[in-house]
Amino acid sequence: MIKPRSNWELFKNGIFGENTIFRMAISLCPSIAVTSGLKSSFYLGFAVVFVQVMVNVTVSLLRKVIHPRIRIPIFMLIIAGWVSVIDMGMAAFVRDVYAKIGLYIQIIVAFASIFARAEVFAGKNKMVPSFFDGLGMGIGFLIALCIIGFFRELIGKGSLWGFQIIGTKPILFFIMPAGGFLAVGILMAFFNWIDIRFFGGKGASGV
Amino acid sequence: MTVMDMLRIMFNLSALYIVGGLILAGVYAKTSPIMYIKAKEEKEAALKQMMPEAETIEELGHWEIYRRHPGYFVGKKEGAEMGYIVEGFGKGYSSYINVLTAVDKDFTVQKINILHHAETPGLGDEIELDDFTDQYKGKSVEHLVVVKGFTDTDIQAITGATISSRAVTEAVREGVKTLIAKVSGESNEEESSEEVKHD
Repeated sequence: MIKPRSNWELFKNGIFGENTIFRMAISLCPSIAVTSGLKSSFYLGFAVVFVQVMVNVTVSLLRKVIHPRIRIPIFMLIIAGWVSVIDMGMAAFVRDVYAKIGLYIQIIVAFASIFARAEVFAGKNKMVPSFFDGLGMGIGFLIALCIIGFFRELIGKGSLWGFQIIGTKPILFFIMPAGGFLAVGILMAFFNWIDIRFFGGKGASGV
Repeated sequence: MTVMDMLRIMFNLSALYIVGGLILAGVYAKTSPIMYIKAKEEKEAALKQMMPEAETIEELGHWEIYRRHPGYFVGKKEGAEMGYIVEGFGKGYSSYINVLTAVDKDFTVQKINILHHAETPGLGDEIELDDFTDQYKGKSVEHLVVVKGFTDTDIQAITGATISSRAVTEAVREGVKTLIAKVSGESNEEESSEEVKHD
């Protein structure tokens, strides 16, 4: 039996220890598709935080009611339900962003990170720890997206949040999908380096 | 699997469907009117921008291109028709380009606005630049043709983005053609109905 971790540790784990993108390297598809700008990165990250938290809470509340044989389809239904809620909410309230990232909001349904937390954590734990686990994971994802979006928009468009900052012609490569892969790779290497250099960790591969 | 298991699974799924359905219905009921109103406002604002002088802009009907059904509109000031606006689509390099075109009463293009596209950043997306869109101003339908290299009379393609340039021009040209056919067609029908009888 693993000793229970405090809520704060669970929260931190999602941001640093098991960061979805920089550590687990899952859900990379949206991390490249939407991060050509800081604004769309932030809103997709926000949608993921919402879905992750709500799914974790719902799954942990229902964990004793759900029949083990059909837990996978039930998780899918719960995820799809919350994704639809945030999808409709964003379509109504942040329309300019939704026009760009609407498609990716809908595919949050298929995010490995959300499903994995429901199966691995929320299905076995009480509501409060599940809430903090979801919050940590979601915010870790949000932060990762924002960091990628920050660099890609700054280098690729010379702007931030849509405001022009650098006057010269930017390196367009970085806002194209191939540049996204490169940016994610470089940032992943950078965070591994920090971890090994300053915290004595083993990097993502050594976990 | 026992009967009890089967009942539990049935209960699980039905309960989830009902509760989930109710939640979604509630959210939809709250958000769909907002979505509808905002979409309408955005469209009106976009049309208004195309013809700022017009007092009212009325929808005349829809036409078909690439299986889409964009609308065409008439702008009026003090009851007199000032010009028309038509929405169109062109098939670009990596997307359908959605363009609004404003024409005056003689069907000369006054202004175009690229509403939506997903062309290559740095190449195709230069169709949004004023240098390109300003070319359409003052062009009549026979001059809405893309030419590679320098031209004074027609539309000059963007280097490296000929397909995108052609798509915009196609959307504008087909839109204007439709306007000519539908708008002047309607007013001519009454006048020429007598001639048809003689034939």
